[in-house]
Amino acid sequence: MKDQKMTGWLSQHRSILISYGGLIFCIVFFTIVTPIRGESIWSASKVSTLISDMIVTALMSVGAVFIYALGNLDISIGKQIGLYAVIMVVVGNMTGSLIPPILLCIVLSVLIAVVNGGSGPVFNIIPIIPSVVISQVLGGTITIIFAKMGTRSVTLKTIDYRIFKSPVVMVVVLAVEVAIAVLLFNYTKIGKYAKALGQNKTAAVQSGVNVIKYRIISYIFAGLCFVVAALFQMGYTGSASDSTGTGFEMNIMIALILGGMPISGGVRSKVSAAVIGALTFSLLDVGLPLIGIATRTTFIVKAIIFLIVVLMTSRKKEGTLPK
Amino acid sequence: MTTTISRRDFLKGSVAGAAAIALTGVTGGVFGLKADASESNGKILFLANTSSGPIYDFNIAYMDAWMSELGYTWEMVYGDSSNDPAGNLSAVKNAMTSDVVGIILCQDGGVANIMEEYPDLYVVGAATDMASVYDEDGASAACVDNDHFLGTYASGYASGVDTGKMYAEEIIEKGYKKVAICMFPSFAYPQYAIADETLRSEIASYNETVSEEEQIEITEETTVLMFTNLDDNFFNEPENQDLDAIIGLCGGQAFLYAPMLTAIANGTANPNMKLLTSGFENDADMMADVCSEDGIVQGLYVPNFECLFSSIVMLDNALQGTPFADYEQSEVLDGTLIKITDREIMENIINESPIASADITKLALSVEDGKQYFVRYNEDATYSALKELMASDTFTEKGYN
Repeated sequence: MKDQKMTGWLSQHRSILISYGGLIFCIVFFTIVTPIRGESIWSASKVSTLISDMIVTALMSVGAVFIYALGNLDISIGKQIGLYAVIMVVVGNMTGSLIPPILLCIVLSVLIAVVNGGSGPVFNIIPIIPSVVISQVLGGTITIIFAKMGTRSVTLKTIDYRIFKSPVVMVVVLAVEVAIAVLLFNYTKIGKYAKALGQNKTAAVQSGVNVIKYRIISYIFAGLCFVVAALFQMGYTGSASDSTGTGFEMNIMIALILGGMPISGGVRSKVSAAVIGALTFSLLDVGLPLIGIATRTTFIVKAIIFLIVVLMTSRKKEGTLPK
Repeated sequence: MTTTISRRDFLKGSVAGAAAIALTGVTGGVFGLKADASESNGKILFLANTSSGPIYDFNIAYMDAWMSELGYTWEMVYGDSSNDPAGNLSAVKNAMTSDVVGIILCQDGGVANIMEEYPDLYVVGAATDMASVYDEDGASAACVDNDHFLGTYASGYASGVDTGKMYAEEIIEKGYKKVAICMFPSFAYPQYAIADETLRSEIASYNETVSEEEQIEITEETTVLMFTNLDDNFFNEPENQDLDAIIGLCGGQAFLYAPMLTAIANGTANPNMKLLTSGFENDADMMADVCSEDGIVQGLYVPNFECLFSSIVMLDNALQGTPFADYEQSEVLDGTLIKITDREIMENIINESPIASADITKLALSVEDGKQYFVRYNEDATYSALKELMASDTFTEKGYN
């Protein structure tokens, strides 16, 4: 009887348990091994490093869940972060406050969301195409800005940005963002329709879901999350450079896959994947050097662990990646 | 559809964990963990700006030799490929362990942030002019007054003026009459813009002193390479026809050599077109080309990798609590250039120096000879002697015979 109950519980929570496997393993492994090697991963300084390493990826990934749930990929996220960070520093220095640049970034993020989210269904093109175009445009804009300024990086001069380096603030902001995301994703039409569109677009449309409206709303929420992420990215060093944000879209993809997010979107999408994945990845970033793995080797180790987790979280006998 | 699950499914995560534990253990063994830190003077982080190539190989061999001699462990850390401050800071933070006592930085993005995060660590630059520190409005200008910041040496001349003058002299000496300039963007390398300006002004001054037939033409626009190869269309533009030479204010062997070779082969460029540039690639064909009779590269100016010695001296003195008596404040020193201007020098560099081979038995300044510059070995050692060494012929092409 007990066995049956246990099996039933496991069956019910199968996907969660498996996708949490990587994170649980990392926590247990590094908790045991790092003190033996000399420094615990849970020391104050390492926890602080862990949080600051994770925060930007986690904030971005939470937003990106809404895009991935639709079955879409957004290639422009890294460049969005880069441009928002540059705007925050440059306009912040001009105005002496971060409020105007943040508002400007929010407006920009909405415009980009409308293009990225709306142009696919309107022009009947693959959703990734607009994001590629946006990425190119933003990349060019960033290059022009830095070429005009004659420097590769800009730094906040007068604004005190130390608050964005506080681990407590990071955790609080992430918690608030996750709470809002969970609310929208699980308890409102925004998340439900996003998942429905990702699961079966034709069925969703025939059920009366307004594709353009809910795609754009999903992208707008994601865009707002990207602005928050950019704020912490900029606040990490109080600066932005011509390469800020480069490759972040890949970090998001890795984090979400590690967290068990189905690449094809749909009903199995969940916000927790973002946090689990980002935390797992950061645990590897911070933990591997602590156990004596040379930095030159950590890339390989992370890649293989990533592969193992992907294989373990595979839900289809005939498949590999969580579709 | 069934939702049946076996314990085997549940245990998948555990299997992953076990595999990864084995993996990390095996990998650690295969790739070799650093020596036990318990007997060391602490660990040095080396923030590299490359992850392959001759300078990378040399740095590993050189650091292994000196760190072993001085009793430190060390770890290579990979900085952000675009020198992004946040990327560099993250790289350092992730590699930070409690035994780290100093950092050698090959790029300057985020220096101030690193020093703010770890105020007890000693920081020294290597093969970077640390523009963000030494420019008045630089993002890390505050580091100049920080006694834990120990200065740096540039990758070649610290000032673009000297670089520009050097290339102007070479153009005149080699008798090129029509020259184009290609360079990395000035927002990334501000000194290259100064070198470009100086080169043009030096040639303009020269032209005033000679007859019209002897005058040198530098094409009007400098071509900016956004860290990509020179575009093939460059040679189709009217002003770039019949060029005698291209001056590469960049890693010219990597970014200019192949397009020039192709253009010459396709007949779209002067078959006798030459290249004067900096950097060093240990590709066999490229090395065979340098200063050979029909070679494209007729001048190669290589910042000597051995200059890393000065950073190691500064760092060790600080860590041992024995700074030079005549050291007052950090500064940026000129890095020594190996000027390869004929085939004999090139052969000498290939065979007798560690530049191409990372063979540290061929050092211009051996570990044994270098000890005299450390206060721990020689209490009379001075900063001025170290600076004199950097400015001497020891690290030039003349140092390898």
